[in-house]
Amino acid sequence: MANDKPGRFDHLLPILKRYYGYFWFGTLATAFSNALILIVPYLTKLAFEAIQQGQPSAAVFRLSLAMVILAVVAGVFRFFMRRSIIWASRKIEYDLRGTLFSKLLTLDPGFYHTSKTGDLMAHATNDIEAVRMMVGPGVMQVVNAVVSTVVSLAFMIALSPKLTIVTVLPLTLLSLVVNRLGTLAHKKYQIIQAHFAYLTTRVQENLAGVRVIKAYRREGSEIDRFAEASRTYIDMNLSMIRLVGLFGPMLAIIVGGVTLLVLFVGGREIMAQRLSLGTLVAFFGYMGWLTWPIMALGWVISLYQRGTASLDRINRILNTQPLILDPGKSKSSPTKVKGKIEFRNLTFAYPRPDGTTGAPVLSDINLLIEPGTRLGIIGPTGSGKTTLVSLISRLYPTQAGQLLVDDIDIRLWPLAPLRRGIGFVPQETFLFSDTLEANIDFSAEENRSGRVVEAAMLAALHEEVEGFPQRYETILGERGITLSGGQKQRTALARAIMKQPAVVILDDATSSVDTETEEKIFANLETILPGRTSIIISHRVSSLKNCHRIVYLADGRIAEAGTHDELLAKNGPYAALYRRQLMEAELEKM
Amino acid sequence: MGPAKSISDDEVLGKAYDARLMRRLLTYLRPYRLRVIASILLLLVVTVLELSGPVLVQIAIDNYISVGDNAGLVRIALFYFGILVSSFVLAYIQFYSMQAIGQRVQYDIRMQLFRHLQAMHLGFFDRNPVGRLVTRVTNDVNVLDELFSSGVVAVFGDIMTLIGIVVAMLYYNVELALITFAVIPFLVLATAIFRRRVRDTYRDVRMWLAKINAFLQEHLTGMTVIQLFNQEKRTFNRFSDINEKLRAANFRSIYLYAIFYPTVELIETVAIALLIYYGGLRIGISLLTFGELVAFLQLVERFFRPLRDLADKYNILQASMASSERIFKLLDEPPRVTAPASPKTIPDFKGEIVFDNVSFAYNEPDYILHEVSFTVRPGEKVAVVGATGAGKTSLASLLLRFYDYQKGDIRIDGMSLKAMSPEYIRSFMALVLQEVFIFSGDFAGNIHLNRSDITAEQVAEAARQVGLGGFIERQPQKYQTEVQERGATLSTGQKQLLSFARALAYNPKILILDEATSSVDAETEALIQTALDKLMQNRTSIIIAHRLSTIEKADRILVMHKGVLRESGTHQELLALKGIYYTLYQTQFNFANGSRNHAQV
Ligand SMILES: Nc1ncnc2c1ncn2[C@@H]1O[C@H](COP(=O)(O)OP(=O)(O)OP(=O)(O)O)[C@@H](O)[C@H]1O
Ligand SMILES: Nc1ncnc2c1ncn2[C@@H]1O[C@H](COP(=O)(O)OP(=O)(O)OP(=O)(O)O)[C@@H](O)[C@H]1O
Ligand SMILES: [Mg+2]
Repeated sequence: MANDKPGRFDHLLPILKRYYGYFWFGTLATAFSNALILIVPYLTKLAFEAIQQGQPSAAVFRLSLAMVILAVVAGVFRFFMRRSIIWASRKIEYDLRGTLFSKLLTLDPGFYHTSKTGDLMAHATNDIEAVRMMVGPGVMQVVNAVVSTVVSLAFMIALSPKLTIVTVLPLTLLSLVVNRLGTLAHKKYQIIQAHFAYLTTRVQENLAGVRVIKAYRREGSEIDRFAEASRTYIDMNLSMIRLVGLFGPMLAIIVGGVTLLVLFVGGREIMAQRLSLGTLVAFFGYMGWLTWPIMALGWVISLYQRGTASLDRINRILNTQPLILDPGKSKSSPTKVKGKIEFRNLTFAYPRPDGTTGAPVLSDINLLIEPGTRLGIIGPTGSGKTTLVSLISRLYPTQAGQLLVDDIDIRLWPLAPLRRGIGFVPQETFLFSDTLEANIDFSAEENRSGRVVEAAMLAALHEEVEGFPQRYETILGERGITLSGGQKQRTALARAIMKQPAVVILDDATSSVDTETEEKIFANLETILPGRTSIIISHRVSSLKNCHRIVYLADGRIAEAGTHDELLAKNGPYAALYRRQLMEAELEKM
Repeated sequence: MGPAKSISDDEVLGKAYDARLMRRLLTYLRPYRLRVIASILLLLVVTVLELSGPVLVQIAIDNYISVGDNAGLVRIALFYFGILVSSFVLAYIQFYSMQAIGQRVQYDIRMQLFRHLQAMHLGFFDRNPVGRLVTRVTNDVNVLDELFSSGVVAVFGDIMTLIGIVVAMLYYNVELALITFAVIPFLVLATAIFRRRVRDTYRDVRMWLAKINAFLQEHLTGMTVIQLFNQEKRTFNRFSDINEKLRAANFRSIYLYAIFYPTVELIETVAIALLIYYGGLRIGISLLTFGELVAFLQLVERFFRPLRDLADKYNILQASMASSERIFKLLDEPPRVTAPASPKTIPDFKGEIVFDNVSFAYNEPDYILHEVSFTVRPGEKVAVVGATGAGKTSLASLLLRFYDYQKGDIRIDGMSLKAMSPEYIRSFMALVLQEVFIFSGDFAGNIHLNRSDITAEQVAEAARQVGLGGFIERQPQKYQTEVQERGATLSTGQKQLLSFARALAYNPKILILDEATSSVDAETEALIQTALDKLMQNRTSIIIAHRLSTIEKADRILVMHKGVLRESGTHQELLALKGIYYTLYQTQFNFANGSRNHAQV
């Protein structure tokens, strides 16, 4: 099993299989339509001969009428060709995009930290379109090309083997040229796409960071950098154009050359009385029918190259093992969080994109949080506080040691009840550009009428919202930019309260809120916290009042832990911090 | 707080051809007009050369093959060959020169857009999602390039070819030509119906694609929130809805193509059948030669050739009209916060800041600052406190002229902000933003932001002053270590410190800190304080903070409340006032003491 490498079509085939019927039907329709329409040049030959032999015009009329009838029937088949094959390709596109997105929904924050949003979006749009072009128009053109080549060749050989050779050889050359150009172009195209992605990222970052750019007057250097990137982009394009520019003229010269050869060789045959003029005309007709499919073949090859390259990129995502595996529900699995949390000898390091792990961010954490108690975490910047609480929501996989929730290893918890039981207010607020109400009511639980206002009140947000012209219907800007820093944080707080979770985790959730409002929030929380387990991270000793236990984290280790008094008695880093903050307050009071 | 209005014009798709837009687009060709003219002349020559094929076939059949003139056939074949080769060369040159013009125009428009965006005011960015603006600069410009490099010219070439064919046919035989033209009305009708329908479906497809993109952009960046709140299923359903709509729009377009293409093929066959039948009759009475009939057949085939990719060209045309409309709309949006005609500078810089009855609204008439007046003396350190949403950040934004105040005036050393250029103002001020933004690139780049006159030592010094030096030194490549998009793998405090270091590296005359240490631990904060005290000696600074510890050393404290400056004075004065500050302070003090009280219980 070890070297059972995932195949390129592992994900696509099951989807394709659903629509085999469409493809079969479409192939038949394509074959019929081509076979029928290819009779037309032969009828032209018959008509020419009839005219030459001075047959009555009724005979010519019958032949002309037959052409039209053939075209009608062939047209009906053509309709079904698209209606089935292209139709199926759109269904495949839809299915594949759905598959990709549902995969993305299972991937962990670590994955998102190391991939660019722009790339992921390109996979879900451009790459999927490239795959669709491969299985839709690509397949259609292959069938088209094969059938018209075979049928035309059959007619041509029957009409004149010599002219057939004269026609087919240069056209084969055409196919080779198209293919060669296509391959070269494909390589260039990939480089250009990569550069275009870079260009996009430059604009994206420039605009997202516009406040910084303006504050530091970086507009000029940004313009210079962007100009350089754009120039490189058009230079790349021009080199591509030099290549693909050959395409049209090449096609014209080869088709013209074939016409010339047929005319020349055919003309001599006619002069030698070995060929009728009608046959020559019919050849001109078949030539036309051969050119397009043969050229299309070259095109199909590049469709295939693009499609498979895109498929590989999509597969890379689909094959990504989510680091967080949902064990799924079983009879014995827990369904509701009660609130006991225990870390046993836990050591954690962030996985790097290359699969290795960095230096440990948390080491030998032993910590027991009894249900219904309140834990405070404090410690220097970068000491691992956020990391510690992220593990409880299982945002990252635990490695060495154990993390138990209600005495059950976190890896055995189905994700849904675990996360439903935890109200986590992340340190950095992410809001959606939706209404305030939709943002607060994000968990969309049952019986929520009136609870949005209640949650907003608890988060001390309601009063301000009432002052907004559209109140809870106010649409927020991207990431919530049209709110003040504190308003954003409190919206996120209200969002977590809506869940009525058994465990509340506040990761510095009031850092942008003034003390008075903070006080109000904590007072409000007092009414809902009893009975719930809570973990509060803060840099202010004052915010940790009412905590049953306080942990001082330094360099990923628990430097000390205990009640406020115990810690003061220890006279360690916590006591020092406390004295510093208290002193400041008292000094000012004097 | 106002409604987030935005130009959601990804969904607008105008006509396929709009003379006004086209005229404006053509102005971009002006710098290259000689090349354009040369290219068009070349195109004419190439068209004539290519159309000579059927004529040569006719001559070969009638003058040489029918009469058995072998030498003549050789001669004309050689001539034909010569034409093929020269048209190959000329066509290639023509194509390249036209594409090169297209690329230059693309560059010009893209840079114009980018420059324009750099000059836009922040209110504009509040209303317009980044993703949408990015699309303007990248994809929309690419669409225009296609118009210039293939669309317009190809259509032009097609029209010339069609005219050439019509002329050639009429020249050979007026009667037969008219008979062939009998199919044209049907062709026009079919195309007209198709065109209208395809426009509608195409618009739908574009609209749903834009929605998919917007949805992905937002939900991929907010994935953690979705997962924390167990909203995977609902999110998937919402995504499927849009995906489904897109599919439905695509289905509709399949029908159009499936009907249109066979119809055109059918009309072509009808034309051929007509030709053969009537041609046969005319040959019977010697009014037409075989060569002419063959030439007619080939001309008809070429007549239909441009129609094979009509839909593509039509889509390019329509897409480029829509793109140019959006681009022009963006270019026409005037930058609101601009330098006056003759910007002034401050002759003798001291650093005095005066707010004189300033009132401000993000969206009128919802004023969020009301008649704010205060003075910061040169070298003074002033703290601004107040409840969340009171307008502190807005105050700082006004000072950097991110937005323009509606009433009153702000003056620096007696000079109104509006009399100076925004760049000049920002050259002596640095603002550490509440909302941290980290660029991808390395640590050093995030501190010097590509300003070439900031040395590596200065960068390191700034990092050390904010207490981040040790952390960066421990990274594998030190200051050259790459950080992820938006600093995703740094702790919140580390990001804040990094953005603080920027301000120090820029060594400003006036420093404004907006909650610059809210996520930083007390010890690091004290360290920064010490560094700042040295650094900002005799320089003006404004500090917005919620924590008393951060503002303890301020010379003066301003208290904001609901957009109004309510109190101002030293710490002692304000306490004595027993107003807002007093209560604010009491809460914080009691709050701090609370932990002790609690512990004593
Ligand atoms: N870009 C914006 N567009 C519209 N309204 C805004 C914008 N930014 C802020 N506001 C509104 O203006 C008011 C003042 O916001 P501001 O950010 O100045 O407050 P603040 O005092 O800095 O608050 P905080 O302490 O929470 O950061 C708030 O009601 C906010 O909703
Ligand atoms: N996704 C990540 N990948 C790799 N390293 C990370 C990641 N997130 C954080 N780190 C690193 O792990 C360490 C601990 O970060 P964490 O966010 O837990 O700190 P913190 O104690 O919450 O700090 P703060 O007080 O600034 O919020 C930091 O050195 C940080 O750079
Ligand atoms: Mg943190």
